Amino acid sequence: MFKIFAGLALIASVALPGGAYAHSAIFDCFDNGDGTISCQGGYSDGSSASGVSIKVKDAKGRIIEELKLDSNSEVSFKKPAGDYKVMFDGGEGHSIEVDGKKIVQ
Amino acid sequence: MKKLSLAALGLAGAMLLAAPAHAHFMMTYTPETALEKAADLDFRIVFTHPAEAGHMMDMGGVKEFYALHQRGDGEAKKIDFKSLLKEVTWKNPDSSAPAFSALIPRKELRSMGDYMFVMVPGYYYEKEEDVYMQQITKLLVNVGGIPGNWNMPAGLPCEIVPLAKPYGLWTGNVFQGQVLSNGKPVAGAEVEVEYMSHAPDLKKNALSPKSSVNYPNGVMVTQAIMTDANGVFTFGLPKAGWWGFAALGVGPDKKHDGKELSQDAVIWVQAVDMK
Repeated sequence: MFKIFAGLALIASVALPGGAYAHSAIFDCFDNGDGTISCQGGYSDGSSASGVSIKVKDAKGRIIEELKLDSNSEVSFKKPAGDYKVMFDGGEGHSIEVDGKKIVQ
Repeated sequence: MKKLSLAALGLAGAMLLAAPAHAHFMMTYTPETALEKAADLDFRIVFTHPAEAGHMMDMGGVKEFYALHQRGDGEAKKIDFKSLLKEVTWKNPDSSAPAFSALIPRKELRSMGDYMFVMVPGYYYEKEEDVYMQQITKLLVNVGGIPGNWNMPAGLPCEIVPLAKPYGLWTGNVFQGQVLSNGKPVAGAEVEVEYMSHAPDLKKNALSPKSSVNYPNGVMVTQAIMTDANGVFTFGLPKAGWWGFAALGVGPDKKHDGKELSQDAVIWVQAVDMK
């Protein structure tokens, strides 16, 4: 259901790429190169994603860490050792999962 | 008789097009303004006549080159790129002058949101008219689709604030902007408009000698529109590509080095065909 861009950025399934639907969720992560990962969330209309729950999951889908986006809609955490996924839990139609394999510097 | 007058008309037309145009345009250019993800951005800063690949001018160096980055309603952050500037020689078919390049690494742009690029050049001396010119130029780039500060003033002496998302325009859309001087709207300002009809070649540091537009006369090369009582202008974009807007003489500085100064506000927008 997700449109996966060449790199990291994902847009929730409610939005077509480049579409003009208001309020589609956008979420992206990158590797800071120092053993930490930073993620940013937001919405296509510019509204804040501050406070949205971010779940870090291991290879089996178990939640290993649960965080919240800060006032700047960002969060950083220690890079998990094995395979992992990061989920932007924006609720129905606004949730996005990024595979750790696609999170690069 | 008919032949003669046509020839005369043609000659007059050619002279019109060849005559030094008054639309000097500061170009702050990078090929794409709406990026799905961060990428290296190759910039060129060139003072020329982009509709005609015409006369090149020496902008007198670059005083400031930075971006104001903002995502959503988060904090705006200033990123200085002046140290990345390199002087190059930009060669148009019949003219060349010093210009600047900057390769902004992907890492600087990996945070999603708007990047409002601001370029403040030095002063160009226009010998013919014995005046100085300074065109303060803005260009908006978006990464990842989350908007930010595109419709906010940068706090420049003079600027054009977009009222339509400048990196999200279809061909045929209108571009609307508000002209500010010291943060206040300028009513009745003349805004010149040019289409970049000669594609920039970043490898050669040149505008292509081939024009994508056949101009019927000189009037159509540089269009003009006036701002209303709120300093707002609205201009339809009839063709995909780059459109430059220059609000002339709107800045608060009226003199430089004892001579008259035209401090102008420039913005570039990119229109994309709806396919």
